[in-house]
Amino acid sequence: MSSAGGIIRALNSGVKHLAIRRFTLRYPEQKLKFVGDGFQFNPETGVGIAGLRGRHILYHEHCTGCQLCAVACEGIAEAISMVKVNETWKQNKKAIMPQIDYGKCVFCGLCVDACPFYALYMTNDYELSSFTKSALIYTPAQLAIKPKISQDVEIKIDDRGATHG
Amino acid sequence: MTTQLPPGISLEKVDDRIMTLNVGPQHPGSGHMRLIIKVDGDYIVSCDPDPGYVHRGEEKMAEYRNYIQNIPHLERPVIHDSSNILYPYCLAVEDLLGIEVPERAKYIRVIAAELNRCIYTLYWLAIYGIFLGHSTMFMWPAGDRELFIDLLEAMSGARVTHAYLVPGGIRNDLPANFEERCLRQVNYFEKRIKEYEAIFYQNPILKSRTEGTGILSRTDAIRLGTTGSVLRASGIDFDIRKKEPYDVYENLDFETVVMKEGDSYARSYVPYLEMFESCRIIRDALSKMPKSGSVRTKLKPNPKGGNEEVFKRVESGRGALGYYIVSNNRPEPYRVKISVGSFRNLICMPYLLKGELLGNMPSVYWSLNYWPVEADR
Repeated sequence: MSSAGGIIRALNSGVKHLAIRRFTLRYPEQKLKFVGDGFQFNPETGVGIAGLRGRHILYHEHCTGCQLCAVACEGIAEAISMVKVNETWKQNKKAIMPQIDYGKCVFCGLCVDACPFYALYMTNDYELSSFTKSALIYTPAQLAIKPKISQDVEIKIDDRGATHG
Repeated sequence: MTTQLPPGISLEKVDDRIMTLNVGPQHPGSGHMRLIIKVDGDYIVSCDPDPGYVHRGEEKMAEYRNYIQNIPHLERPVIHDSSNILYPYCLAVEDLLGIEVPERAKYIRVIAAELNRCIYTLYWLAIYGIFLGHSTMFMWPAGDRELFIDLLEAMSGARVTHAYLVPGGIRNDLPANFEERCLRQVNYFEKRIKEYEAIFYQNPILKSRTEGTGILSRTDAIRLGTTGSVLRASGIDFDIRKKEPYDVYENLDFETVVMKEGDSYARSYVPYLEMFESCRIIRDALSKMPKSGSVRTKLKPNPKGGNEEVFKRVESGRGALGYYIVSNNRPEPYRVKISVGSFRNLICMPYLLKGELLGNMPSVYWSLNYWPVEADR
């Protein structure tokens, strides 16, 4: 008889959840809000600034073509290669800038830690899927574009449980 | 007729009653490993675990990368417990390079490790539920895991494979309002996982399937060299966080969960109870943490270790996890040996499964807290 009681208690605790709000995030319609504008790094203090590690953003006016990001990526993902760019910058005599292959990138962000010139950061953009492999290779020009994102859903907790808004 | 066999190969004489079953390596219930089970009717006569299908050569790879480049690939064996698998590596490299870690970073590392332990335990519990055919117990922990994944995402910027702990501290400071948000979610989480008790742990169906199966006695647990929750479920009070406290665990208030039974039920109950202790640790660490200060000691570019050897271990979700690093005045380590809890616990599988019903195999197997990818490294 005690086992019947246990089964009823187990069923009861499941049935109670019919009245509790849905926790699931309805993804394409809802998108989670993140802290800040993506992972950044301050080379002076050597400490990063919290944020999502999505795709990179490259500031052409800061990049000197020093290749430290590509060196940092060696042995991790080898996703970064330095390519020639057409425009010329005062600080970038060799006119080379990183090109990132997101088919290989593991989003560890150690390239951002390696950049001493505030040129390479990460953004909140994580929707990078494409139909071709070549479309995953982002040129310096593509990396310079600031992503347009709308992320606004947060976890809300109240007496009726947790929900994604 | 006698056949000439090549040297090193012998034929096994098999009884007509005995049948050999290969569970895995592609079986959804086994993970990436194979259990060679001999059955007599419904009873298991012998079991021979055969790991090694997901060997990635992490230890060899570590010899060709410097101490920072090793971080992303060393957390791959257990992507959902990545802070805990990096923790001993960071401790060992800090010892090797002589780096002091700031006080605030130590607390944040403990918080990250405990959040990750909960994420691992919930993932393991979800699979334990589906192993036993309890699909609600798959959905609930998988959903509640999201609370802590979101917290770690805010902290580190990635949902899994955080690469957050580095030799010298942590990658970035906590975001604004993190303490408040963490506290709110941990409090809710603690209330929420109490509901698992009625639906799963006090459920007579689960109890009848797990109580008294796969009993590992206290002496056997020591003799076979098990670690982690398997050891504590057999009545031995051993937790590295208590016995050899690293970072700031000695300042924090928590207890070791010990059960005496040593059966599958106790082995599945101990990690669940430890989640409450993890919540206690997180709350305590949040209150004792210095409110400001540096979180990372700057390293020289390409730091070199001396002619030294270090061994550091921590308590991960699956037991003691240690790194043995040998350096020889080069930016890359000379040798890295990862000693993982999963592999330590694998050895007791033949002992536990002998004489069990074949139907009890999944519950015994998964209660060992075994993660094939970590065991193979």
